[in-house]
Amino acid sequence: MELLEQISQRLQAGKAKEVKSLVQQAIDAGVPAQDILEQGLLSGMSVIGEKFKRNEVFVPEVLVAARAMNRGAELLKPLLMQEGVKATGRACIGTVQGDLHDIGKNLVKMMLEAKGLEVIDLGTDVSAETFVKTAAEQNCQIICCSALLTTTMSVMGDVVRAAEAAGIRNQVKIMVGGAPVSQAFCDEIGADAYTPDAASAADFAASVCGA
Amino acid sequence: MPVLTVRLGTRRYEIPFTPGASLGDLLHEFGHVHPCGGRGICGKCRVLLSGHDEPVLSCRTTLGEEDAEVFLPQSLPVSQIAMTGESLTSLPAKGDVGAAVDIGTTTIALALYDMETGGCLAETAMLNPQTAIAADVIGRIDAAMKGKLETQRKLVTAAVDTLLLRACDQAGISAGDVRQRVLTGNTTMLYLLTGRDPSSLSHAPFLADTLFGAEHERGYLPPCMNAFVGADVTCAVLESGMCDAQETALLCDLGTNGELALWKDGRLYVTSTAAGPVFEGACISCGVSSVPGAIDRVLAQGGRMYVHTIGEQPAVGVCGSGLLDACAALLELEMMDETGYLEDAPCMLADGVSLTQADIRAVQLAKAAIFAGISTLLAKAGCSVQEVKRFYVAGGFGSHASMASAAAIGMIPRQLAGRAKVIGNAALRGAARLLLSPQGRAQAEAIAGAAVHVPLGGDAGFNNAYMEAMMFE
Repeated sequence: MELLEQISQRLQAGKAKEVKSLVQQAIDAGVPAQDILEQGLLSGMSVIGEKFKRNEVFVPEVLVAARAMNRGAELLKPLLMQEGVKATGRACIGTVQGDLHDIGKNLVKMMLEAKGLEVIDLGTDVSAETFVKTAAEQNCQIICCSALLTTTMSVMGDVVRAAEAAGIRNQVKIMVGGAPVSQAFCDEIGADAYTPDAASAADFAASVCGA
Repeated sequence: MPVLTVRLGTRRYEIPFTPGASLGDLLHEFGHVHPCGGRGICGKCRVLLSGHDEPVLSCRTTLGEEDAEVFLPQSLPVSQIAMTGESLTSLPAKGDVGAAVDIGTTTIALALYDMETGGCLAETAMLNPQTAIAADVIGRIDAAMKGKLETQRKLVTAAVDTLLLRACDQAGISAGDVRQRVLTGNTTMLYLLTGRDPSSLSHAPFLADTLFGAEHERGYLPPCMNAFVGADVTCAVLESGMCDAQETALLCDLGTNGELALWKDGRLYVTSTAAGPVFEGACISCGVSSVPGAIDRVLAQGGRMYVHTIGEQPAVGVCGSGLLDACAALLELEMMDETGYLEDAPCMLADGVSLTQADIRAVQLAKAAIFAGISTLLAKAGCSVQEVKRFYVAGGFGSHASMASAAAIGMIPRQLAGRAKVIGNAALRGAARLLLSPQGRAQAEAIAGAAVHVPLGGDAGFNNAYMEAMMFE
């Protein structure tokens, strides 16, 4: 549908006001909220995600597009609840204990949401116990841990061990990321996936949830 | 052992090296810097190396078993921006002489004062040589924890000694005449100066295990407020005199870190926001510090862009104030939209100097951090922008930047532009106050002791403000 394509295009350009009014137009025209979300907002956001992965756009474009997506999503939220639309999966995310640097974490959160996942944001300085407790209580399929500092990344290993101790290790995928993190580190601590950027993280998360 | 010949202007040096040695490491002692911390992304460490047709990035180049020869660019960027602009006393010192030093993440500035008359005898500044290790404090803390603490201590103490000798030379006195010293700087800089392990600054809850405010073998180190807001801000607040007045005032020290202090109803709220080294010229394709030929002003008029360079020299690059103006001009000329998209990238400012889309994106992140820092600090203190009667702008870049441009691109709230009072390198002048005024130390202790820290990391309000502030509007 042309209108949805237009929403996607304007979202990619970061034009929040236009996205908001186009979303309203679509709602008024009777387009189902789920279609507006998936074929308009999320499809636009995933184009940005792909470009980000290829270094064609930078962090500000992602944030500007996400800002436009939020404007549109606000209008859709009540309608989506009415339609009873379910998220494709659920993840919890946070920066590990001792780390307050959350720009990367926030990007991953946005990208996961753009794939239709429900994301529980635990914020910053999150203990291994909190990650695991949340995952167990809220039935998350995924735990995402972020760290910017070499001094804090070792906490990710604690998360893996805490999940084992809690007996949920085989129910949950543990994803790790952040500037000092590498595939080798991921293997060393026995996490499930390392992704170098937010868009790749979303791809992996979506594949886990079968989205 | 093979030998590396280093050519610096007409001078020539020979350094033996072990095969596999990093070219960047070998060049540190020549003041050759790696603003991006050796990640190979800023392109500032390009040098000509024998056996290569194109310039190489020294930080990413290792030497083999053969002798090699490298040509270094001659000018070391000594910025004019650190200067306080005080008029110098030409008379030689009669009484004791004191030195005030501001150790910035990027620039170190030193001024000599006649302790009897309070007159400024000499001033000088240089690039902080620790920049060679990493551009920002996190990188330096990280390096210190990986065994480069002593290296960094030596780099900064040697730089201070060099500046002291240079200033004494200017003033016509001997270094032995300098009886007192006050050394200010952000918390990390003072840790590195004193060779203290900065681990406590590296992870939450970020409780510095000392905040200084004491005599040290190298001089008096003023008190820091917390791990992120250092003695330099204590000194800047002291210099501004904002805590002596009733009216609500905001102080913004725009350097590599943007430090903010809000004085309202007898309380001082402080925070810091990571602006990064963009406005120091790092991480910008044609970025330079304030050297001759740097584009420092850009004006949009009659649908065209006009540039001014420092010393009216042919343009060599663009410095922080020029970068800010250029973004404002691009917006005004509608060559850039409010999301930061450039209609025609790269955009030429002058012959050989242009701004790329990536440059604009870097500016966007830095300016959003400052705007979001200001708005979050105000919100947390329950203060509206209208209530802020005075807006003190400190720091090298801040002092040269046009506040109108800063407001136009959304780096500061519009209402503040007209209330701005530029106070230059207020940290250095505040340090001088500590040198010269008998009540200074007690005042500094009181300021630092009463400051309320407003943390921004992980704050949902800040994150939202940061995303909103990404727009150029």
